[in-house]
Amino acid sequence: MNGYIVGQQVINGLVLGAIYGLIAVGYTMVYGIMGMINFAHGDIYMISAYLAAIFLALLTGAGVQSVPVALVLVLALTILFTAFYGWTVERVAYRPLRNSNRLAPLISAIGVSLILQNYVRISQGARNQGIPALIEGHVRVNAADGVTIGQVTYTQILIVSAALLSMGALAWIMRHTTLGRSCRATQQDRVMAELLGINTDHIIATVFIMGAAMAAVAGLLVTLNYGSFDFFIGFVVGIKAFTAAVLGGIGSLPGAMLGGVILGLCESLFSGFVNTDYKDVFAFAVLILVLVVRPSGLLGHPEVEKV
Amino acid sequence: MSGRYGLILSVLSFVFGTLAFVAVADGAEAIRIGVAGPLSGSYAAFGEQLWRGAEQAAKDINAAGGIHGRTIELIKADDACEPKQAVNVAHRLVDAEHVKAVIGHFCSSSTIPASVVYTEAGILGITPASTNPKVTERNLPTFFRTCGRDDQQGGAGAEFIVNHLKAKRVAVVHDKDTYGQGLADAMKARLHGLGVREVLYEGLTRGEKDFNALVTKIKSQLADVVYFGGLHAEAGVLVRQMREQGLQAPLISGDGIVSQEFVASAGGPRFVEGVFMTFGRDARKIYGGRHVVEAFRKVGYEPEGYTLYSYATLQAIAAAMRATRSEQGDVLAKWLHANTVETVMGPKAWDAKGDLKVTDYVMYRWTPDGKYQEVE
Amino acid sequence: MSIAASLKHAARWGGLTLLLSLPLSGWMLNGYQVTTTWHRPLWLAGGVFVGTLLAMALARLLEMPPLRKLRWRMQTKITVTRRPALPAWEWGVLLTIAATLPLWLSTYWLNVMILALIYAVLGLGLNIVVGLAGLLDLGYVAFYAVGAYGYALGSQYLGLGFWTALPFCALLAATFGTVLGFPVLRMRGDYLAIVTLGFGEIIRLLLNNGTEITGGPNGLPAPAPTLFGLELTRVAGQGGTPWHTFFNVTYNPNLRAVVIYMVLLAFLALLFFCVGRLQRMPIGRAWEALREDEIACRSLGINHVTVKLSAFAMGAAIGGIGGVFFAAAQGFVNPTSFTFFESALILAVVVLGGLGSSGGVVVAALVINILHELLREFSDYRVLVFGMAMVVMMIWRPRGLLSMRRQFFAVGKNL
Repeated sequence: MNGYIVGQQVINGLVLGAIYGLIAVGYTMVYGIMGMINFAHGDIYMISAYLAAIFLALLTGAGVQSVPVALVLVLALTILFTAFYGWTVERVAYRPLRNSNRLAPLISAIGVSLILQNYVRISQGARNQGIPALIEGHVRVNAADGVTIGQVTYTQILIVSAALLSMGALAWIMRHTTLGRSCRATQQDRVMAELLGINTDHIIATVFIMGAAMAAVAGLLVTLNYGSFDFFIGFVVGIKAFTAAVLGGIGSLPGAMLGGVILGLCESLFSGFVNTDYKDVFAFAVLILVLVVRPSGLLGHPEVEKV
Repeated sequence: MSGRYGLILSVLSFVFGTLAFVAVADGAEAIRIGVAGPLSGSYAAFGEQLWRGAEQAAKDINAAGGIHGRTIELIKADDACEPKQAVNVAHRLVDAEHVKAVIGHFCSSSTIPASVVYTEAGILGITPASTNPKVTERNLPTFFRTCGRDDQQGGAGAEFIVNHLKAKRVAVVHDKDTYGQGLADAMKARLHGLGVREVLYEGLTRGEKDFNALVTKIKSQLADVVYFGGLHAEAGVLVRQMREQGLQAPLISGDGIVSQEFVASAGGPRFVEGVFMTFGRDARKIYGGRHVVEAFRKVGYEPEGYTLYSYATLQAIAAAMRATRSEQGDVLAKWLHANTVETVMGPKAWDAKGDLKVTDYVMYRWTPDGKYQEVE
Repeated sequence: MSIAASLKHAARWGGLTLLLSLPLSGWMLNGYQVTTTWHRPLWLAGGVFVGTLLAMALARLLEMPPLRKLRWRMQTKITVTRRPALPAWEWGVLLTIAATLPLWLSTYWLNVMILALIYAVLGLGLNIVVGLAGLLDLGYVAFYAVGAYGYALGSQYLGLGFWTALPFCALLAATFGTVLGFPVLRMRGDYLAIVTLGFGEIIRLLLNNGTEITGGPNGLPAPAPTLFGLELTRVAGQGGTPWHTFFNVTYNPNLRAVVIYMVLLAFLALLFFCVGRLQRMPIGRAWEALREDEIACRSLGINHVTVKLSAFAMGAAIGGIGGVFFAAAQGFVNPTSFTFFESALILAVVVLGGLGSSGGVVVAALVINILHELLREFSDYRVLVFGMAMVVMMIWRPRGLLSMRRQFFAVGKNL
């Protein structure tokens, strides 16, 4: 039994960590390129959950029976529209503030977060919404001696693999494509990048779109996993994902994933073996300790100050 | 004068101007009654129940000639279930809206501070939904409730667990909120009285969706019953994750999950099957309430949860005003303490504290079609 | 822009809105089905179309010569001047008006004003940390909570009164600030932000979980302040004599609010004065210098740790005092008043007011709180409009309502 508990708690933590990681990517990319905390990102994730449920209902209503087909279509549509929301938010609330003081976009982001939450509340109601359990079943994880050490549902496997896959794709884009190079250039020095002919407005918009797309992936999968959502879910997850991004070193893509997994493991192990009441206290304490030892996060590059 | 002065002065004059405007605005012929509850925020569904119930009651009373010819006008007040806002809207209802009575609030944590404001102002206040014992335990002469108390409700839950389910290993989970933790504590106290000790007592965080770690822990404690003090949003997710991890122990909760949303938040009716909850006798089945229920259903609204409690609350206020021909809190309160009111939920009478004399907590069981039924 | 171009521009935004809001407003989730509500995206798109046209017309209007000058004047910029923002007599008038408010305000609006003044105090405190020292603190609410709970717990376990609680909680919060400050001041910019955010959450969670001591989610009662040893409640609860019994007058439930308001106003005026002075003292100059360029400061021999710590502790102490006032005004404290959203709101006060501008912070606190109350009329749309106002304000005046003023020293001519 004991091996089972540890194994199961590790699995719980990894799944939770993958979710945090997927959302943390949005924070870390925007922070890396603009140096601002996009507080509205959690709400973009919330929007994507609603979009996914609406598209799923529409497709089911239109007579799409096959679950894989429906899921792929819903995923595509959700990514498309969530990305559209991400772009719009950047265009309306952040672009006009590009050259003002550092805190103006932060306040604007808080405002956007309130707008998105209440827009959804007014148009969809304050009720809890849900999507049906589409993928059923689980697999048992056995240790070498055949003892079951935990079980994973198919949805959870899907979440972890989607997180790894999209993270890999994103890392590949950043490293090997022109777009990725432009992103990195903009990240390092916006003015210089502009002088070299990079349309930084475009790049920033693209970053918002990519971040929102990742949030959309999370939105669909997480909703499938937990089954329900309301207009307020973005807040709690947003703060945790942001913590994960900072823990891993904000601006670093693998850092976001690593931070997410560490945070998820911290929460589930502390909750499982010590006390659920204090799991968030523990998670934040770990964050503070890590930052005291490594002020730029686990995988972040220490900023070199030049005079 | 430079632009700077101009700006300062115009902002200040805006500030004082609005204050002056608001300070003067006044006037009412109808009897104004406040309905305070969470109309925004994550509890908004319950606020809607309160509002819908009161709205329908006002409509019916006004259609029947009002109170001695005067109509009832309801004033919406949103506290978002936040104590600070609750005190604010309480002052607004009292000073700016000049209400004569208040229905509300929903969350005990809002009702407790707000009720002080109403009592200080000598206004009658009746909460249809706040079940925390502290609401009426503070000697507030003009404050009542038309629902039960958590110590009664928790007691009913504990007795069911011990006597009916014959459970030995009980896990107690709450949501670290005034209502949820209060209910869980009351249940725990009664459980100890019955000679059973809990195997686990922990709080989860409201707004989160992942309780897998907690579920694994409950499972490792070999609990055969899980009691949850909290609201539907967390209860639904909890029960689903319990079932997904293969933990089949029954979940028992209180009136915080009396809403169809519980099914939605669990992700389907089959997850809620076998969940028990304590709640007052179903108002929708009481004979006198049938036409009211029909009226709600006609406009496509299912009067679940606290809707009819809110309806009954306004009926009680109206009855007191009709009988006493007064709007003063102490007069109305005195009448309510002494008399029985015929409401949509049957006859109601209050004791000296303002609690209902008869509370009838019964156990309900959620069925596979996503409805709930009384346990025989 | 020509009319045709304007129409095209507005049509583009309207079209975008239509597309954007189509799924979220065009269908409404109803269980696992959707109900079609296509009129809603159409209305929204129409609204955006008209709104864009109006906004463009307004912008055009502001370009007209007489208004353009006004607009230039209204722009926020750091001014260096010898004159104080307002001469002494104007301060006197303002304070007198503010002091007479309780005479003609209802209790409701008096309570709103008390909250607004508390936000002004908190804003001034956070302004030292964020505006002057440039340390982004997202967990300022922690110090506010320490002050509020310090008073409530102190009165319950130590028999602390309101007047002793003020310095006590200021000290307590400052201690918390220093303890937090030591490890985190190595961090830069936004790492600091997230650590303070985490700290704020930790404090709130500890208060919520420590049911035995803090009452957990139920919170704690906080006594009303006393005035010269006389109590302001209907019945004496703290072992003293109630005010109305002593003077043999009828009980007035407003008195508590009036006294808190007056004390708070006096404290705010004092704080305002002190912050102005601090800004001109070496320590204030050091804060600002450190904000602008840390390396240069350190090479000039400024001890950056003490300077940052002093800003942190000072801000924390003011936050603690704000908390005491809050607890006394509310009559009880509970953890839901100290969420992250509260930190964000205080930060919004500071940024909307204008970073570093004390006058702006006070004005912003008043405007935000009063606006928030006035919007109650719109119940459903209140928070939505509030969020829009935040975005629009930031776009319209990214530097806040009032600009920072810096008085220069006049060095004697014969030096």
